[in-house]
Amino acid sequence: MDFVFKNKRISGILTVLPKKAVKFEDEMANYSFSPAKCMKLKLAMGYNEHRIAEPGQCSSDFCKFGLRYLFDKHLLNKDDIDALLFVSQSGDYYMPPTSNLIQGHFGLKHDCLCMDINQGCAGFEVGLIQAFMLLEQPVIKRVVLMNADVLSPKVSAQDRNSKPLIGDAASITIVEKCEEETTIYANIKMDGTGAFALNIPAGGFRMPSTPETAVMVQDAAGNFRSKDNLVMQGDDVFNFVQREVPPMIEHLYEQSGVDRNEVDWYMFHQPNKFMLHKLADKLGIPHEKMPANIVENFGNASGVTVPTCISYNLGDQLVNGKMRLCMAGFGVGLTWSSIMVEMGNLSFNKIIEF
Amino acid sequence: MEELKSKLAEILEVDDLDVTKKFEDYEEWDSLAVLSILAMLDADYNVAMKGKDITAFESIEAFCKDVISRQ
Repeated sequence: MDFVFKNKRISGILTVLPKKAVKFEDEMANYSFSPAKCMKLKLAMGYNEHRIAEPGQCSSDFCKFGLRYLFDKHLLNKDDIDALLFVSQSGDYYMPPTSNLIQGHFGLKHDCLCMDINQGCAGFEVGLIQAFMLLEQPVIKRVVLMNADVLSPKVSAQDRNSKPLIGDAASITIVEKCEEETTIYANIKMDGTGAFALNIPAGGFRMPSTPETAVMVQDAAGNFRSKDNLVMQGDDVFNFVQREVPPMIEHLYEQSGVDRNEVDWYMFHQPNKFMLHKLADKLGIPHEKMPANIVENFGNASGVTVPTCISYNLGDQLVNGKMRLCMAGFGVGLTWSSIMVEMGNLSFNKIIEF
Repeated sequence: MEELKSKLAEILEVDDLDVTKKFEDYEEWDSLAVLSILAMLDADYNVAMKGKDITAFESIEAFCKDVISRQ
């Protein structure tokens, strides 16, 4: 499904990371792998250090910290927020929406559309597409997109599929109307038949958490998890990404009329270094144009990885200049989406710690 | 077939691959080896397989024949 948006821009990106950094080596004794095999895993996947929230810190707390920072630094005016989007898989409560809670926390105006969106790895793209759609309305001039996930408490410490790569983080992206003639191209596809490739079986209404769902069970590869834990079918996810993402990007080139060589940076979701390098190879993109350094430095915080990748790798370059970015997210849902955008002259593009 | 065998030998870190054996007979056989094989199949043979399908083959030879037949 293709979209095109005119006269809209991203004007700022703030990434909020937990202070606490955990080393791969400090956790590898939990895995049913010899130290030598663990080091092989680390090297192949690009694991090193990941940022983990403290117990009790929720994804909304990272959003609030980021918003407070922007208000205090006069980078965002409370009264200018016409819509507040919270894209996450780790909201505070089943009800009310976390976006409403954040609106109430800061006493934002009542003419502010609050919306929670449950999406993960493609959450940045889904959120941007929603923001651009809202901006089609005359009354909405500025949307604040929050991507946030604190999923580390849901991952088993004895799961070498997911534990070494999980990260917690939030990002705040300002999306607004602009006078300047801009065209943003986006596409999105979904396939709910693959929905269980990435999931947390228990804890929702379908299977409430009970003492039984908390029982740890060993899988064929030697990982221990309970039904309360996040589980990823690594081979299904790998095959899905390699099958769907390259044609999606080829389609985006056609859709936008942008030649692959005209793209300055490929800012993709960060599952791990291995998968990103395979994707780049398949697309014929030089590795240096597709940064794959977020998992090794901070971990994979689902929808927050693309903004983190932009803040970390481009920083002030996007404040002082302009570049063409091809962004893509793919994963839980299954959902896959990509966006071609010229981004630059941002008011801010940085990482802060909470 | 020989090329595929040598790629498997590299992943399993052995000089001589005994194709009558099963994958799990090799010491280096683990989830990382599975992923390496999936990636190699995708990149070099344009074949997608599930991890558990790879383990289910009665021998490495049967696996190789299946991959080649899908070409």
